[in-house]
Amino acid sequence: MSKKIRVAIAEPSEILRAGIIDVLRRINALDIYIIEISDTDQLECVLCKYTPDLFIINPTATDPHITGKVRTLCGNNKIKSVALLHSLADSHTLEHYDDSVSIYDSAEQIRNKIIKLFNVDQQKDIPKELSKREKDIIVEVVKGLTNKQIADKLFISVHTVMTHRKNIAAKLQIHSPSGLTIYAILNNLVDLDQVKY
Amino acid sequence: MTDKIYKLGKYTHADSMSDLICNNYTMLLVLSRFGISLGFGEKTIQEVCNQNGVDEKTFLAVVNLLISNERDETSVFGHDSIQCLLDYLHNSHSYFLDFRLPSIRHKLISAIDTKHDNAAKAIIRFYDQYVDQVHTHMEYEETTVFPYVRSLLSGIKRGDYNIRVFCRQHDNIESKLSELKNILIKYYPPGNVDELNSVLFDIFACASDLASHNFIEDNLFVPMISQLELNVKKQ
Repeated sequence: MSKKIRVAIAEPSEILRAGIIDVLRRINALDIYIIEISDTDQLECVLCKYTPDLFIINPTATDPHITGKVRTLCGNNKIKSVALLHSLADSHTLEHYDDSVSIYDSAEQIRNKIIKLFNVDQQKDIPKELSKREKDIIVEVVKGLTNKQIADKLFISVHTVMTHRKNIAAKLQIHSPSGLTIYAILNNLVDLDQVKY
Repeated sequence: MTDKIYKLGKYTHADSMSDLICNNYTMLLVLSRFGISLGFGEKTIQEVCNQNGVDEKTFLAVVNLLISNERDETSVFGHDSIQCLLDYLHNSHSYFLDFRLPSIRHKLISAIDTKHDNAAKAIIRFYDQYVDQVHTHMEYEETTVFPYVRSLLSGIKRGDYNIRVFCRQHDNIESKLSELKNILIKYYPPGNVDELNSVLFDIFACASDLASHNFIEDNLFVPMISQLELNVKKQ
């Protein structure tokens, strides 16, 4: 599962808001939830209500000290703020924010900035190769043994068998016993006459 | 990022049928399921539908739903539309069961390297089991759901069934086909590459076509029938 990120967008222009949301939609790797804020007077109130992880904000429409204020109000120092720039901005303005995106940034650039802010691991550390034990499990599954029978045969608990099966499905992206059969045969784990499925 | 030109908004009865098809070639499949053949020249969608005895409203509802993925909540459908959609769904079932799936099986057999004889057998077995599942899935609709809808159309509401039952157990039938695609792509050793590619293209297209078919059932057929149930109850 990718990390859930609640993103508040405070931008009075509807066209720009819709545009940003559409660009965020194209960032597939992230699980993004959107809070739209059109009226910047409502900003603090809405942000406190929903406590976003990130807010993208038009710096010209709001108080520059908004980041600190929101963090205090929500009691959460980890909330990130990103300035949304329509044109060039001086560094003095930008130092109030964690980062900034320009309306000319590509989806790729915006994605990288968000990933950097949240330190999202892009690579999930699942080793893709099957372990010896997992291969043993596959062999028994395709022979038609139940989880209980496999557990008894390999001297492990049913729970462990289920964990192995879950990991196998995640690594191979094969969920059905008949799919595993093809895998097992292609990789010479079993012969056709041994399999049930 | 796309360099494809697309129509903003929905297709209407006054649009040209050939524009619809040329801009969305997958709609070819929709045409044949409505029993419309090619060669319609410059005729509009309305003219072509009238000529072929197809309910224009149903036709537009199907193509617009497939193209935009957005349901038009405001549409109200009469009995003719429901009958037309039933025919459409029935034709889709025949297409998958009698043409598409057998044709993929045929190509699969010739694409699989005979050097991996056992694997080939396992793959065909997997595929046949999958086709059996699709048969069961579609047969349920043909023998239970459609007769139920026909009796509703004649004004009879049977007490023992409603469309929500169908809705709840209507699972996606394309996921196992995707699994086969995965296995072939990730684990199949080099064989006859061109033939294998060709069958993979077919499997990709068929999986997405099955997903569209289910999408129409969930988002057009089910709401239509719920509405019909309410109307029959009121009478």
